[in-house]
Amino acid sequence: MISSRKKKYIPAIGIPALLIFLSILPFFVTDYIVSLLLDILTWVALTESWIILSGFTGYISLGHSAFFGIGAYVMAISWMSLPYPLIILISATSSMALAFAIGFPVLRVRGPYFVILTLGLSEFAKYIFINYEVNVKGTVGRILLGVPPIKTLYFSLLVIAFFTILCAYLIQRSRFGYGLFSIREDEDAAESLGIDTGIFKWLAFGISAFFPGAVGSVMALRRTYIDPYSVFDPIVSFQIIVMAFLGGMGKLHGPVLGACILTLISEFLWARYPHYYMIILGVVLVVIVKYLPSGILEIVGKLETAIRFLRTRMGCIF
Amino acid sequence: MDYGRILQIIFTGCITGGLYALVAVGLNLIYGTMRLLNIAHGEVIMVGAYIAYWCFTLYGVNPFLSLLLSGLVTSFLGLIICKIIFLPMIQTGKSEETIQSNSLLLFFAISIILTNVATLLWSADIRGYSYMTKVVQISTVPVMLNRLSAFLVALVVSIITYLLIQKTMLGKAIRALIQERTAAKLVGINSNRLYLFSFVIAFGIAGLSGALLSMIYEISPFMGMPYTITAFVVIVLGGLGNIMGSLIGGFIFGLVETIGISVTSPGLQSIISYGIFIAVILIRPKGIFGRGL
Amino acid sequence: MHFLECRKVTKHFGGLTALMEVNLHVNEGEIVGLIGANGAGKTTLFNLISGVYPPSSGAIRFDGQDISGLKTHDICRKGLVRTFQIVKPFGNMTVLENVIVGELFGVHRDKTLVKAREDAIKTLEFTGLYEKRDTLGKELTIADRKRLEVARSLATNPRLLLLDEVLAGLTSTETAEAMKLLKKIRDEMGLTIFMVEHVMKAVMGLSDRIIVLHNGEKIAEGTAEEVAENPVVIEAYLGEKIKT
Repeated sequence: MISSRKKKYIPAIGIPALLIFLSILPFFVTDYIVSLLLDILTWVALTESWIILSGFTGYISLGHSAFFGIGAYVMAISWMSLPYPLIILISATSSMALAFAIGFPVLRVRGPYFVILTLGLSEFAKYIFINYEVNVKGTVGRILLGVPPIKTLYFSLLVIAFFTILCAYLIQRSRFGYGLFSIREDEDAAESLGIDTGIFKWLAFGISAFFPGAVGSVMALRRTYIDPYSVFDPIVSFQIIVMAFLGGMGKLHGPVLGACILTLISEFLWARYPHYYMIILGVVLVVIVKYLPSGILEIVGKLETAIRFLRTRMGCIF
Repeated sequence: MDYGRILQIIFTGCITGGLYALVAVGLNLIYGTMRLLNIAHGEVIMVGAYIAYWCFTLYGVNPFLSLLLSGLVTSFLGLIICKIIFLPMIQTGKSEETIQSNSLLLFFAISIILTNVATLLWSADIRGYSYMTKVVQISTVPVMLNRLSAFLVALVVSIITYLLIQKTMLGKAIRALIQERTAAKLVGINSNRLYLFSFVIAFGIAGLSGALLSMIYEISPFMGMPYTITAFVVIVLGGLGNIMGSLIGGFIFGLVETIGISVTSPGLQSIISYGIFIAVILIRPKGIFGRGL
Repeated sequence: MHFLECRKVTKHFGGLTALMEVNLHVNEGEIVGLIGANGAGKTTLFNLISGVYPPSSGAIRFDGQDISGLKTHDICRKGLVRTFQIVKPFGNMTVLENVIVGELFGVHRDKTLVKAREDAIKTLEFTGLYEKRDTLGKELTIADRKRLEVARSLATNPRLLLLDEVLAGLTSTETAEAMKLLKKIRDEMGLTIFMVEHVMKAVMGLSDRIIVLHNGEKIAEGTAEEVAENPVVIEAYLGEKIKT
């Protein structure tokens, strides 16, 4: 049994250690491993940012991929014209700005209607881009040449993922976080206690859009070819949701767990059997929603409780 | 714009509308009775379309016959999905909102599963077949026979559905359940059995509409989503849970969309469709026949 | 000028008139009961006062300010807070966290988390929930949920408390305890209470004054004795004379 005092030191030492480890690692492993880690970091950042809105306020979004897509396009348009870090910042900011622009009317819609609205919005964005690309530009896709090496992309995503988790962490412990959780638990009650639910939801929405914009811009470079179908793909939103549910939305490391597990599974399946992968994901989501709404962490939590129970019963045997 | 062109737009709009009306009925049944939004609706249509395609290209079966087969297969699919996944969930006694949100995720997952199964079975290529492509003249307007036939079948099925809902005891029970769930249960209506029934019929009609659509349009594993969106717009326009309303709403939406495309361009069809969808949810009208979101 | 004032407040919902030109007032420091049959318009009135929707016509004034049409969270910040007929605890948060929310977003909006926590503990002690502070909202009994609802509202530091059927569903012991708490709130904290109630014995026992609504109109007003004797009230609502 770890005393609560010790518990505080673990993250304090553990996280810088992990960061240092992850920073040094790329120089000692193959590029394949680096790209695998890069994928994990991508999904970690995407899922954590989704949690800031959907996990904290309970407004489940099926359209998070839209912000990813916008980030990708900002990069595709400005690559070679502006410094790399600046573009990432602009992508993130544009994405956030769009979220703020549409946030108020969109977030007035409640419950399941919000969920399908987000799906509709994401598809709408996709078709607008398709139309523009086809009619104005002539071709559907864009190619990016002269992209940075994979290690650069890796470190960019490491930074982005770190800040996403940091942001989620700070919000969770703040007054703002209390407001968001209240909205999730009971929006009317929250409103009656003085929380301006409209503004709070709006802020969460905008903040949650910032990070996928950044991620999208880096991923555009990684893929070197983007088109609306791939960057605005509902599959991206779908995978985020599965990872969030798999890992559990209660704790911050839930999405990390979900992202790691799913990325590893997809690593084995995606290249050769992408459709089987999707079907498996679908089944996984069904199972989780029905039986494990709190995610795998619920099982882990139950195991922990069981072990603790056994310990107290068995006394000094353990 | 000459008279002939206007007439053609109206015809096309009506045919499209008739099909949309049928497409929407299934979604409305499930929403009305169970308050669940089936976002896999389009994928069920897709399955129906592929079954008809398969039958025609492999065995030369008349698509009008495979209508029934599609409907049966998708009904069966609905039976399994409802029994295994949704009925137990409704019975857990969780809050309505939780059930609705969870159901959305479940339907989302089902739509992904169906899309990918279809891709595995039939590849992601767009496919189509030609059937009844002879052109007939209705007054001065040329219309393809397959479209006309599909429209007529859609009309017939819609009328049958309408009669079922309005005139039979079963239909009355369903309407009671839609209008006032708690009270309906209190007067002895077996809600679980009716849920299952509505689910099965809804899936069946969806499969049937898919078969009809396959006669006219090209099909692909990804054709589903736009139909889901269309169906949703139609049922909101017609009033959620109002079966008759969505039949009429389908016609109206079909006409509006066709007019919209003719005024702008075919490439904008998706944008118009999704645009209306978003506007409808944001403005949340009570529908033309009452009963909003 | 009264503490809370409704002047000719009217509310239509489409063709249905829920409230018709209701005039009433509550003075500071009073406990006023609002009674009436179901459908009389009591919750509608509460919803209007707390800003859930605006009145169709008429004015609502609180402490000299016009609050008709203000949003609920703004009204809360001015010191007017309401509880709900069907309690709405934050189920996955602890009792303490529930009350902290009230402390953070009420009248005093610049508290640090540490200060909010301290104040929340004091509120919990005042309302008798301190022992249950780490229990999750969804694990509470109905009586404790009602208590939490009141505690959470108190945490916002209000001056007027709107209680919507806070005694419904309680046993007689629980009701007696709740009544003690409400008296304590008025006596020790100087709060004004405006409460909708069906539990006749309680509302007659607690209230300084009672207002009776029927079919959207105010049909009587006065002390508990006066209202209980009022033939109009008896016919419309009470059925027979209540022994006060």
